[in-house]
Amino acid sequence: MTNTINNVEFVRNLVEDNYKVNKTEVIDQYQVSFEVEKEEVHRLLAQLRSEGWIQMSYLSAIDWIADNEFELVYIVFNWEKPVYIQVRTRLDRDNPVMESIMPIHPGCKYYEREAHEYFGIEFPGNPDFHKPLILEDWDDMPPLRKDFDPRAYSDAHFSSREYPETHENTLGQESKVAQRESRMARVFKVGKGGKK
Amino acid sequence: MREMKLFLGPQHPGMHGNASVHLFVDGDIIKRSYLLPGMLHRGFEKGMERHSWVNNISLIPRVCVVEPDINEMAFAMGVEKLAGIEVPERAHWIRMIVLELARISIHLMAYGGLGGPTGNYTLMYHAHADRNTILNIFEKISGHRVYHQYIVPGGVRKDLPIGIEEDIHEFLNDLESRYTEYRDLGIENPSIQARINDTIMLPAHVVWELGVTGVGMRSAVGKAYDIRKVMPYARYDQDEFDVPTGTYSDATCRIDIKLQELVQCIGIIRQCLEKMPKGEVRVPFGKGQSMRWTVPAGHVYSVVESSRGEFGYYMVSDGGTHPYRVGVRGASYPQGLLGIEKYLPGTRIDDAALWIDTMGVCSPEIDR
Repeated sequence: MTNTINNVEFVRNLVEDNYKVNKTEVIDQYQVSFEVEKEEVHRLLAQLRSEGWIQMSYLSAIDWIADNEFELVYIVFNWEKPVYIQVRTRLDRDNPVMESIMPIHPGCKYYEREAHEYFGIEFPGNPDFHKPLILEDWDDMPPLRKDFDPRAYSDAHFSSREYPETHENTLGQESKVAQRESRMARVFKVGKGGKK
Repeated sequence: MREMKLFLGPQHPGMHGNASVHLFVDGDIIKRSYLLPGMLHRGFEKGMERHSWVNNISLIPRVCVVEPDINEMAFAMGVEKLAGIEVPERAHWIRMIVLELARISIHLMAYGGLGGPTGNYTLMYHAHADRNTILNIFEKISGHRVYHQYIVPGGVRKDLPIGIEEDIHEFLNDLESRYTEYRDLGIENPSIQARINDTIMLPAHVVWELGVTGVGMRSAVGKAYDIRKVMPYARYDQDEFDVPTGTYSDATCRIDIKLQELVQCIGIIRQCLEKMPKGEVRVPFGKGQSMRWTVPAGHVYSVVESSRGEFGYYMVSDGGTHPYRVGVRGASYPQGLLGIEKYLPGTRIDDAALWIDTMGVCSPEIDR
């Protein structure tokens, strides 16, 4: 548990020798990231699980709209050899489908539902991935995609508030602003800088 | 008997926050259940992409309402890792004091929250009175009671006020002197023991299936799996503290661990006040006008140990003035959603609120 540099080296050897890794990044002594192909994710996560990376910490996606791709991120953790491993893979943005990893990590069920709801990525193998979770009666494109505009959505769905053109004083008394202004005018007329 | 549908929450003494549990019951035994989140969805992950790195500091504490400081810490640590800046030594210790005070406050709140489902409101009033003292200390430190915006990327916003050490010591001594009283009121109280002993079990193999962390995991697995010990951040490696664990994870065990952690927190804060050096508390992470500060491109997952477990921010920068993507890993995501769906069936209606309280389900961080 103490020799953390060796843990990162252990992970690098384990992954780079057996899988086709497009890019490796050592973020710090407790974290390393691998970019792999979509087909290799399941095999890699299954092997990492058997090596002790049993905790599924996080699953989400990133919308790289300029490349027309989604990037899926799986983060797993091992409590005995404390290294966070980010496994990242790219999906086609026009047809985002990724087999569910529920057979390996059952805890990812709701993360996959959330990724489907926010990005529109489909996870066949997850029985409930298409069910709505957090957004109720959503009728637009998935909201965390970069081409979703919250301003346009709210303009289309909610009526804008109407404000009166003129601010008429209906009560017949002097408004507080007017009171303050007349007071200040009186003070400066005297010319003593506000002192009585 | 006919199966009946019941709603636990969003307005219920045992429900913490604005979420609702749908229960399908037969008599008073739960047959099926699921959480209905989304009542507190505020679109934070989208909102963070639309604010600059510095503006986000005032947005992130709102992710978890009762424990805002862990958000600030995770965000700050992520930006520091991406930007590659070193935090001044004194700032580390101040951060630990703030984080541990917050941990005491939320453990007190969770322990007092036990009064709701078990019907002992005295406990709740005592706990909230003590939490109020912590909020007074926070007000003196940062100017705010709940959302402090005190831990910022590069350090803390300003130095501790003069004389705050006495206030903190006074509070800690006071809390320590009443610790046995707290135990007598709640966990040693026979009427409460009848409700919490052997209820809402969490077997060890379930922990890995759900991905539960924090108190829930440590109470079942029996190992000191705490981020502060396993991969220490700030200066937790220089403080001496124990991580209480258990192997029989019922509601009693989990509450007991929370109370033992309270004692450890008191010890950590005392060590911090003693070892804290003098000096700078903040370095800027950019140059020029702060709204145009940029952060180098990269992906980072920064993680802290919250009172409910592993709390993390996944942050992606494309080198611009705004984050490209920020994902929040709420600590109560596994036990709140999958835990309620899979492991509440088979228990009784009144135990559902105990699961939510002792596992620390926080609806704001599930909804975001």
